[in-house]
Amino acid sequence: MRKVLLVVILGLGVVAVSSLPRYARRVAADTPQSTAVFDSQGRLKRPEGYRHWVFVGAPLTPNALNNGKANFPEFHHVYVEEKNLDVYLKTGSFPEGTVFVKELTRVLNPTFPDGSRTEPSGRGYFNGEFNGMDVTVKDSKRFAATNNWGFFNFGHHTLPYSDWAKEASVAECASCHIAFVAKTDMTWIQFYPILRDGDITK
Amino acid sequence: MMTYLMRLAVVILLMAATAGSPQPGDKEPVFAKDGSLVLPSGFRSWVFIGGPITPNGLNDGGAPFPEFHSVYIERENLRYYQKNGKFPEGTVLVKELSLTQVGKHPDGSLDSASGRGYFPSTLNGLDVMVKDSKRFAETNNWGFFTFGHHAEPYETAAKESSISQCAYCHIAHVAKTDMVWVQYYPLLRSKID
Repeated sequence: MRKVLLVVILGLGVVAVSSLPRYARRVAADTPQSTAVFDSQGRLKRPEGYRHWVFVGAPLTPNALNNGKANFPEFHHVYVEEKNLDVYLKTGSFPEGTVFVKELTRVLNPTFPDGSRTEPSGRGYFNGEFNGMDVTVKDSKRFAATNNWGFFNFGHHTLPYSDWAKEASVAECASCHIAFVAKTDMTWIQFYPILRDGDITK
Repeated sequence: MMTYLMRLAVVILLMAATAGSPQPGDKEPVFAKDGSLVLPSGFRSWVFIGGPITPNGLNDGGAPFPEFHSVYIERENLRYYQKNGKFPEGTVLVKELSLTQVGKHPDGSLDSASGRGYFPSTLNGLDVMVKDSKRFAETNNWGFFTFGHHAEPYETAAKESSISQCAYCHIAHVAKTDMVWVQYYPLLRSKID
């Protein structure tokens, strides 16, 4: 009986060990690790795989409604990793190391003066080409001077984007976040339904 | 010793069972006995492929899909499409609507720190399409479902929409691209990962 049990345990052990990578990933998800990579000069490496992160919302500031040149042309697709979103939804603040990616796209072939066009689903704006990327990283040591967040611009143009970006000046990015959204962890949660209202599917 | 070994066996068995369990959202569409589709779960963690907007202010106050359309697909189905140019059996595409924040301009747009434009407010409904060549052979292999165009909570199950509600428009305009408006979605158009 004892020998049989030992064999069973050994067999189960093999099954358990072969499943370990998946098990380990789940445990790791409880203590988020940052995906932000900095070089010795403090430049941020362009994040990868962000289009598979959780999409939280997409404001639109069309060029045609902003004197031909919006500051962020034109759709703003915003992504955050699920592990960091989950902490935010539980605690109301983003954990250290959180990375937000805002990827821009142009609008598709405008036909009206306001930049919109008509499609079978109605008159409006549809996604054109990818057009740039801005990133914020929460790191209370590195970015203490700007309410714990650093801001990076990898170019506002079609692909490819820059591989590295240096921290944007306070005047370029942080000043506006400090003026308007310092109370909500420097994030415009009012524009993102699941940050503002929570996610009832979770 | 026997008891210890038996306990150890149970612990290892539990670890193996837990590690192998399916993840949320990582599953096939679920149909009820009457053919209605159960509200998909976990779709906000799927891949977002694009977000057209048809504001009420540009559509006589009542857009057919009010107003932002955020479209999601599971990663493995996106990859299959990018490789093969068509979607695999069992693919689910979810379109979640959200309203825009009310602005003072006649077109409904709002002045914000980042410029004049449209900004999402509350979530406002859910439409779903499912590829199943046996179940939906009559409508080019896709079934269409609406779980309501209103704030949450959405309907928990939806029966298949009539052809005149959804499928006819897809058949008329996008039959050649597997019934999907690939022209509006950068990841479907450009096949970028």
